[in-house]
Amino acid sequence: MAIDQQKALLFGAAAAVRLLLFTAFPSLPTLLAGRVEVSTPVTSFKRLQEGLFLYTHNVSPYDGGVYHQAPLLLPLFSLLPNPSYYPFATNLLFTAVDLLGASALMQIVESGQSVTTRLFSSSRKDMRWSSIAVAASFLFNPFTVVTCVARSTSALTNLFILTAMAKASQGASFTFIFALSIASYLSMHPILLFPPLLLLCYDVRVTKTKSSSSPLAFTFYHTMGLVDAIGGLLSLSAFLTGSWEFLSATYGVRLLLPDLTPNVGLWWYFFTEMFDSFREFFLGVFWLHVASYMPGLTIRLRKQPLFVAATLTGIFAVFTPYPSIADAALYLSLVPLFRHLFPMMRYTFLAASTILYATFLGPAFYYLWIYAGSGNANFFYAITLVWSLGLSVVVGDSIYAALRDELDVERPELRGKDVKRI
Amino acid sequence: MLSFLALLLLHALIAPALAASDYSERLLLRPLPQNALLASFNFRSNESSTAFEQQNFRYFPRSLAQILQHAGTKELHLRFSLGRWDAESWGQRPWNGAREGGTGVELWAWVEAQDQEEAFARWLSLTNTLSGLFCASLNFIDATKTIRPVMTFQPEGDHQNSSHLHLLHGTLPHEVVCTENLTPFLKLLPCKGKAGISSLLDGHKLFDASWQTMAIDVVPVCAEGGECVLEMEQTVDMVLDIDRSKRPRDNPIPRPLPIEEIECDTSKPYNAHDTCYPIHKTTEPGFSLADLYGRPIKGACPLTDDEGEGANTVCINTPPERTIDIKTDGAYVENKLQSDTLRCYKLPTGSDFDLVLPEQQMTTGLVHQEPPLSAARHINGHGQEHGSVQAVIKNPSPTDSVEFVYLESLPWFMKPYIHTLRARVSGSSESPIKETYYRPAVDRARGTHLELRMVIPPSSTLTVTYDFEKAILRYTEYPPDANRGFDVAPAVIRLISPASADNKGIYLRTTSLLLPLPTPDFSMPYNVIILTSTVMALGFGNIFNLLVRRFVGADEVPTLGAGGLKGLIRGRVERLRARFAAKRKAT
Amino acid sequence: MALLNSVLALRKDPRILKLPPYLSLLCILGGIAWLLVLPLQEYSRGTYVSENALLPGQVHTYFTGSEHNIFRAYRQEVHGLADKSIEERTRRLGDVFRSQNLKVATQRYKYHASGRNISNQNVYAILQGPRADATEAVVLIGAWRNMDNEINTSGVALVLTLARYFKRWSLWSKDIIFLVSGDSTSGPQAWVDAYHDSHSSDAVEPLSIKSGALQGAIAVDYPAGPWGHRYDKLHIVYDGVNGQLPNLDLFNTAVSIANGQMGIGCTLQRMWKHDDKYQDRLQTVVRGMMSQGLGHATGPHSSFIPYHVDAITLQTVGDGWHDEMSLGRTVESLFRSLNNLLEHLHQSFFFYLLMQANRFVSIGTYLPSAMVIAVNFSITAIALWVASGRSATIPNPASTDHKDKNAAVTVVEKDGAKAIIPTAALEITERSLFLPLGFVLSSHFIGLLPLYIFNNTSQSYLNLAFNATTAITTILPLATAFALSSVKQPTEQETTLVQCFSLLLLGMFLSALATLNFSLSFLIGIAASPLSFTRAIHAPPASSPTSPPPSFLKKNRTAISVAQATLIAALNPLVLMKIAALVWKVDITDILVKAAEGWHVWGLWTQVVVWLAWWPAWFCGAVVVGSGLFS
Repeated sequence: MAIDQQKALLFGAAAAVRLLLFTAFPSLPTLLAGRVEVSTPVTSFKRLQEGLFLYTHNVSPYDGGVYHQAPLLLPLFSLLPNPSYYPFATNLLFTAVDLLGASALMQIVESGQSVTTRLFSSSRKDMRWSSIAVAASFLFNPFTVVTCVARSTSALTNLFILTAMAKASQGASFTFIFALSIASYLSMHPILLFPPLLLLCYDVRVTKTKSSSSPLAFTFYHTMGLVDAIGGLLSLSAFLTGSWEFLSATYGVRLLLPDLTPNVGLWWYFFTEMFDSFREFFLGVFWLHVASYMPGLTIRLRKQPLFVAATLTGIFAVFTPYPSIADAALYLSLVPLFRHLFPMMRYTFLAASTILYATFLGPAFYYLWIYAGSGNANFFYAITLVWSLGLSVVVGDSIYAALRDELDVERPELRGKDVKRI
Repeated sequence: MLSFLALLLLHALIAPALAASDYSERLLLRPLPQNALLASFNFRSNESSTAFEQQNFRYFPRSLAQILQHAGTKELHLRFSLGRWDAESWGQRPWNGAREGGTGVELWAWVEAQDQEEAFARWLSLTNTLSGLFCASLNFIDATKTIRPVMTFQPEGDHQNSSHLHLLHGTLPHEVVCTENLTPFLKLLPCKGKAGISSLLDGHKLFDASWQTMAIDVVPVCAEGGECVLEMEQTVDMVLDIDRSKRPRDNPIPRPLPIEEIECDTSKPYNAHDTCYPIHKTTEPGFSLADLYGRPIKGACPLTDDEGEGANTVCINTPPERTIDIKTDGAYVENKLQSDTLRCYKLPTGSDFDLVLPEQQMTTGLVHQEPPLSAARHINGHGQEHGSVQAVIKNPSPTDSVEFVYLESLPWFMKPYIHTLRARVSGSSESPIKETYYRPAVDRARGTHLELRMVIPPSSTLTVTYDFEKAILRYTEYPPDANRGFDVAPAVIRLISPASADNKGIYLRTTSLLLPLPTPDFSMPYNVIILTSTVMALGFGNIFNLLVRRFVGADEVPTLGAGGLKGLIRGRVERLRARFAAKRKAT
Repeated sequence: MALLNSVLALRKDPRILKLPPYLSLLCILGGIAWLLVLPLQEYSRGTYVSENALLPGQVHTYFTGSEHNIFRAYRQEVHGLADKSIEERTRRLGDVFRSQNLKVATQRYKYHASGRNISNQNVYAILQGPRADATEAVVLIGAWRNMDNEINTSGVALVLTLARYFKRWSLWSKDIIFLVSGDSTSGPQAWVDAYHDSHSSDAVEPLSIKSGALQGAIAVDYPAGPWGHRYDKLHIVYDGVNGQLPNLDLFNTAVSIANGQMGIGCTLQRMWKHDDKYQDRLQTVVRGMMSQGLGHATGPHSSFIPYHVDAITLQTVGDGWHDEMSLGRTVESLFRSLNNLLEHLHQSFFFYLLMQANRFVSIGTYLPSAMVIAVNFSITAIALWVASGRSATIPNPASTDHKDKNAAVTVVEKDGAKAIIPTAALEITERSLFLPLGFVLSSHFIGLLPLYIFNNTSQSYLNLAFNATTAITTILPLATAFALSSVKQPTEQETTLVQCFSLLLLGMFLSALATLNFSLSFLIGIAASPLSFTRAIHAPPASSPTSPPPSFLKKNRTAISVAQATLIAALNPLVLMKIAALVWKVDITDILVKAAEGWHVWGLWTQVVVWLAWWPAWFCGAVVVGSGLFS
């Protein structure tokens, strides 16, 4: 069967599953949109509806504690019919978003940057999965499906992150800059993906056009481009909302965490229980901690920038203030790109079972805390700890595998032997 | 229909009283169904505004006056309320609800200021000083509990420059009104509860009432001539359960009555010496002021004037056939008003005065006027994540539709989704909402403020629902006392049409709501900090460990080879042994 | 790290692979032993009231004297209503409440379950506490008919009398709601659903008047006729729907008031005779677990508990010398205690096993028993996984290592995203995961079919449906195995993987379930435990590392497979249900009718667990064995 036929079949199936869920269970989207694991205060569709309502009734949606999402979403969704009465258009949009993300993922796979970069080529480069398979593991990942059905706006962020990666791995500068700027405009932390993706883009450009342009100029132009794009988006949204107060309501909320609604991350309970005098300090520390991974990984794994970017999405899924299973879905669907690393990963069964158990126990414990009243907050908090631990184990293990892979290229004689780190 | 007439005239005859004299007080008693008795006390004292400016106060309490001057408050309304008015069986509210507040404490005032900031600063100083004066925690009315209503409240008084006036409104639904609020309230009266009807006001009885509200209203009133007086009105309305209030204070326990005193339905076939189906008493219960309040009225307050309407201090609104005995040594005057349904008495000075109504079988009763609206509000759904508020407002009148303003003031941690706001009228499809004013809450800065102007067609039911989400607070933001949940202030309803006869307006309030929030484990800050930090450290340490170290083959490392666990342990053991050996050498 | 490495190195050790069967056997035995130990005095604790505000039995009760005459009159009234129509009954009860100056309202409800209509009326009255601000309320329930479908004459009369008596007190800080529900299960459910506005508007009428948040509910069950009946003990029923329990403080308060203040003995779980011996305690625990595991409504209180309203039913049992007034005083004292509450009951335990009125074990003590039983499946699953990896690639240990690991990884990815990975994803992996995963998940989906059938068949056909399903489900695995073997002989690895995945899922479900409904998880775990020991014994030359030396096994492979198959067939959930029904002498149809009613009315989840977690696991296990038979 030809690749495009397979693709058509796969996408058709994925779209069918989503639309079926939307139509067969009309109350499912609302139910899922209410789940704390799926939609956070900064991505919830219900809050987006509230913001839309205020926006269309000429009340500033940012003069309130409910809406913390990007201003440009408002005109976009105000074009669609009211989702509480005619949800079909919205559902179609989110389905399309997932499909576009999948095709972007396929482009990444086809670029082959995951195994062979300019400076490095894995010794197991033939151990790969077809783009169809990877796209399938993205489209049919329950986390992705749930995110799509809950219509959480982090699906959009995921789409643009994937697009940015795809374009970077094709060396298409402008689209790459554009997509990345939108992603970081939507949810701020993707800006950290810029350096690795820039390297990736540079490598691809150099390999394509055999002439190696000066890296400094390249960096300069692209950085300027990114700054311009983001500045443009911000000023456009300021123009739309009529003031700059959206900055504090969107990015300010992500930075300062005033809304402590539970989520699968590590921040909410920590800052619920934090002493007031130390809150600002620890906010700084936590953000520093998130940012600190980017330079380290980029420098150490200079040869595999795409892997660095993928790993960073994993970091985001664990250590950002408002993570949801959507971020985990993004990371887990990027991992299959690096099929060639699986042989060297060690704690995968452990991590997998941890994540699975957390997936089952999380809702149960949340129910015990919130509805049955027979458990307290610590139950759910413990599960978020387990979940984060499982994900971070996967991340660390994959990094180990990547380094080991590099080692096998540098010192082929060590293949299959035990190694130590000193 | 008699009593309907009576009601209208009551307000009418109280109205001239204020203009006439500088101080007047009145007690109006009205027996209600189900052995209840409405007693509404009313005290008015006027002060000419010139005298007020010069700070010479005759009847007006100096303490309050200075507070008002200091805070630049032109009009003040303060309410302390407890319990529920049972409109279904008691009918129309006293004063059309204009002199009552929501459960707890409610305060609104028109403050004179140049801009919002100044107004709010003055408002804060007002609340703080008032809380000192009334022993209430009014000082907790901060920015998150303060709103600026636009449609619901209208000034009662006549103000010259209303451009600089700012209306601010705050509520404390959780405040428990009690004796320590009554004492300063009485202190403001000229007779201080020593004489006059105020001598009846006693904490034990007042706070045992089924429903009671204390109100203080300070309003500037200007005659046509331009001569303005500052009028202060103190009101206490209470509904007493006659049986309960008649119990002696030394034996308040409602023990079962001896079987002889219970009226049995002898028509029942099974009626026997040990079987008694109680029949509902049809006679009006007997009572006297001394029974209800534990003491009679200690004579008239000498400051009330002796002639005219102002002299009618104690009035009772009963059918003419009801016999009323007066127990007093002094001289009193009885005059009957409104075809005898209202009997008013001029109190004797210096001697006790008591009304005694014997138990009596009545043939006629007073028609109790139907309230124009009835409202109930509840929280739907369960769980501590989200829910929905449902307000049901009924218009009993078969003929005319009612237009009203519905005011909600919600705390910031209760986050309403206004896009889910639905208002439905039973049997009609078009939306009853005519106008909406909405100011969303900001976390920890201000509360939600929602005002709706709506119309109910005759004899139909209006249902307002909206979803909300419960925020989880920082553990320092939960009150230290028992976690009962947070109280949500009652909704205020003001009728626009039919408009009220006077400028006080017709008001109606729902009951308050209980909002349980999800709670963290308060005993765990250290554990949480430690555990979370541990997980982060694991991730961070693991990854950076990988990033900074260098790989070499296992066989290239001398220490503890790839012998697995055994080799490892052997290595450890050897290391220990070496250390001990070293120690031994050292010693 | 070094330590971890060496632990990982252990994985290569072949001896490890011999361990798991014994390990999981140990888990199961340990779990059961753990439970058997609990009734010993050393392992259980005496109950105590930990909410200070309750102050049980610290108040004088005055419900005596002339109230008794009035009670007798009301009892006559209620008795007179026995043969009246529902409307008339509701109206008359409403009139009694109205004559006491209470706010009265009625509610109709009409459910439709398994072909029969459950339609009746609730009548309730609200006493507005003079001190209350309509934010909190407590409920006193007297169901018109109790669980045994007798008319609750004295109970309803007591509710009426107490309503009249409570009205006189001025100390109530909460509203009191007096509810006379049409029956003991659907009526309270309809009422409490409507109270929280989570009712289906076509089946249930909304409530016209409401009060504040419900803080607690007490149901009285006293079906003595018009001439009364002196009882011996109070039977306190506390199980809620889906095995949720009320706060232990409420139970303790009731016991300490009845015992300490009124001198009435308390009993639970129908243990009419309990003389504090090990056997009695064990029997109480087992009965408690049974009724919790079934998750059915055990009284009018059950429907309140899912809404986090702590509730119990006081039921009078036996012939003794206690009369209605002592029950009334007990209720009065209980309400005085609840009236003291400053906040919702939260102090004491919500998960507990009671072994007599004043001894219990808390979750920390008993949860491990269910957990280890759940864990045994996971252990077997891991073992099977590794085994399948081994058998796939024997020749080269070094490469085994790699394949083993990378395969392990593939399963991770698949678990992240279950069966739906198309073949394309897997062609390149060594293990053909698609067929096993597909099979396991589709078998889980098949479970929806019987779920639907049993919830929507009308009463008359239920028995037929049950027998048919039993027959089919008993045949189906073997048929499937035969079909598979005839169409495409599944390799030994595939069968191993099928068993592995199904056990993995089962372990996961049970451990999650153990936190919600311990008893159900434990019972299913015990019933399904043999599944982790049955194996598909394939024809030589296939060799399974977990099997003893082939010579014996291979010789009488068929015999052993048949034995396994019969054992498995006996473990069919439906067969077990039938056996249980025979043992307890209940008609299977009644069980199914109750279950259907539970599904449609009370939101009962037990059958979902049975059909979507237990049955599929059993089915997979049976198919695995069958494939061994037909290979």
